Amino acid sequence: MTDELELTQDMKDAIDREGDPVLYEVTTLGIRTFARAVGYTNTKYYDEGAALAAGHSTLPSPPGYLGMPVWNPNKEPSRQPTFNNPFTKNLNGGTQVQPIQQVYAGDVLSAVSRITNLTMSPSKSLGKMLIRETETVYTRQSDGVVVAKTQGQGISY
Amino acid sequence: MVSAQNWNEVSEGQVFTLTEPMDSQRLVIWAAASGDFYQIHYDDDFAKGNNLPDIIVHGALKGMLVGRLLDEICGDSGRVTNFGVSYRGMDPARQDLTVHATVIKKYEENGEHLLDLEVGVKQEDGSTETTPGTATIAVPA
Repeated sequence: MTDELELTQDMKDAIDREGDPVLYEVTTLGIRTFARAVGYTNTKYYDEGAALAAGHSTLPSPPGYLGMPVWNPNKEPSRQPTFNNPFTKNLNGGTQVQPIQQVYAGDVLSAVSRITNLTMSPSKSLGKMLIRETETVYTRQSDGVVVAKTQGQGISY
Repeated sequence: MVSAQNWNEVSEGQVFTLTEPMDSQRLVIWAAASGDFYQIHYDDDFAKGNNLPDIIVHGALKGMLVGRLLDEICGDSGRVTNFGVSYRGMDPARQDLTVHATVIKKYEENGEHLLDLEVGVKQEDGSTETTPGTATIAVPA
């Protein structure tokens, strides 16, 4: 299969099909850990009082932080439509983030992903590779508002 | 930390940077924050067993460092409207990475004061760009 540069029917069928919704919890601990890892020094991401003083109701989420998926030890944490992928190695090719509404600690987001495009391409360094483009829409559970969209590019080889 | 900017005082071509050490502890904290526990980011033997010279910095961490620089430029009164990066190269850990953003367009749209920027992440040698991208932010005027 990997000798061919054409997409299989299985791959073509996966394009534009939505994956199952995955719940992401945004917590004070998650925001603080994310902010610490990225090196934020603005105290509104750590301290409730500072967040209130900056005009927020609780800790705001820094740009790009959309919580953590609820872990289920009996279920694979996949949120994308699946297909038979002949490649076993994966690289993260890129990320785009479009924050739409401020996300806060306490929000629970439903993330729905779909593959927007698949391309099989030759590569000088990797041989053949499969480029997967995805879009994920994050909807706040409490009011049904879309709070962010992300696009990603994955490379399998 | 980059100070919050006022749109009226920003000029096209202006460059903002922040430099951050990428030691192994940093990558472990990021693994906890992101849920990315792939061992090439914190296990020396595993990384070398995968033909890497050292553990490498998570791509997503580099992307979110760009988000932090943009957030600092915006300050508490501005907002990041979008940003995106491509991961074009690996960055071995245990070096400083410099995140940069250059204003390429300054304009008003729908009542907002906007800046388009070219962004990226450079290695310690200052020449290797591994994470180029673009962004748009709204800043107070």
